[in-house]
Amino acid sequence: MYWSMAKPLRFWSRASLQRLNVAVLVGSVVLCAILQSNRLPGMVLLNTAPNWLLIWVVTWSATRSQFQGVIAGIALGWIQDGLTMAYPSHALGLGLAGFLTSRIDKQRFIEENFISASLLVFVMAMVVEVIAAGQFALGRAWMLQDIWPHLQRVALSSAIISSLWTPVVYFPLNNWWEKFRKLMDRY
Amino acid sequence: MKKVVRWWSRSQSLILLACLVLGAAGLVKLTQGTGLADLNRWLVWPFKGDGKVQQQLLDAQTQSLQQRIQELEAQNQSLKALLDLPSLPNRKKVAAPVLSRSADNWWNLLTLGKGSADGIKVDSVVMAPGGLVGRIMSVTPNTSRVLLVSDPNSQIGITVTRSRQVGILKGRSDRYGVLDFFEKNPDVKVKDSIVTSTLSSRFPPGVAMGRISELRLDKLPTPQAIVEFVAPLDKLEWVNVLVNG
Repeated sequence: MYWSMAKPLRFWSRASLQRLNVAVLVGSVVLCAILQSNRLPGMVLLNTAPNWLLIWVVTWSATRSQFQGVIAGIALGWIQDGLTMAYPSHALGLGLAGFLTSRIDKQRFIEENFISASLLVFVMAMVVEVIAAGQFALGRAWMLQDIWPHLQRVALSSAIISSLWTPVVYFPLNNWWEKFRKLMDRY
Repeated sequence: MKKVVRWWSRSQSLILLACLVLGAAGLVKLTQGTGLADLNRWLVWPFKGDGKVQQQLLDAQTQSLQQRIQELEAQNQSLKALLDLPSLPNRKKVAAPVLSRSADNWWNLLTLGKGSADGIKVDSVVMAPGGLVGRIMSVTPNTSRVLLVSDPNSQIGITVTRSRQVGILKGRSDRYGVLDFFEKNPDVKVKDSIVTSTLSSRFPPGVAMGRISELRLDKLPTPQAIVEFVAPLDKLEWVNVLVNG
């Protein structure tokens, strides 16, 4: 098995390619989860870091079905719950982001490239923050008069910084998936 | 019935896969990201420098103050003994590195690189140069999570040192907190320093918290003041956790 790793990908067996794909999937999610709770220099705008898990969800859902988008959103939302507080759950916002992203008719409205992905992340970051604000308002975890100014600041800065960093996730992952699909088509 | 069977045979692998993915993510959620926190600790720790050097610096800064405090505490104890008040148990400090921050924009949290293996428990008090920083929300053997005083869910009873006026300090997700007074006309001025209240059971009394930076005494239903935290909450690299023993 290991000696075959050195071969170019087009000579890999179907099973090893699938294993590599799973490794890329899990690895990228873990990397995003680690980045999510760290504030690296240059990645912070007004004390707000990029929402890496959201970027991953948008990247995933952009070329997939609504079901896959929602499941990925919920799964990564639960992972984010594990990283911060389980209440209120992040699965609602990310699940909705996955659903909306996979619903958009890409052929008609936007071309599939990293600029449109950045645009999608910009909008979805706002959606996620609005959902979070709604959850905090309904759960009475925050005072209503505190939520609105916080939401305004956080939604805008999170949207800007997340969309700026989108290509870092979108470009390699999307390239890999395109390549993977092409390689699998041969079998 | 045939339709259902056909639908199931067509989409069973998809549904099973979805259950698998959700199960794995649910596990992360249920364990409060323990595995991820440990992985993060293992990745970030090498960049955290030598804790001993940092601790020495902190110690050097505090040593001169500690000598004065010892003197004052001795006096205080003897005065309290005169008044028959219970004295406080001694607590040990554990220096812990800050590994990461909140993974969303709503909670104000820190993840520390030490946990229950070092005696940290839920509700342990977390301090830094400049005063109180927060308290422990959850622990794993090697990591722990702190709710910062700047979080809107954090409420701390405080005292204004000059006038002994009491109130409740709440965070608002930045360097400032909102202080609600109980009385209609509190005796308080800008630049008054505030400390944790002697009435609080969660926090040790008399720990520095911050300074009053703005007054809003005509606010309803209770008069308010804006407090600037002394500890640099957004730049913390190392903190001290108070543990019993």
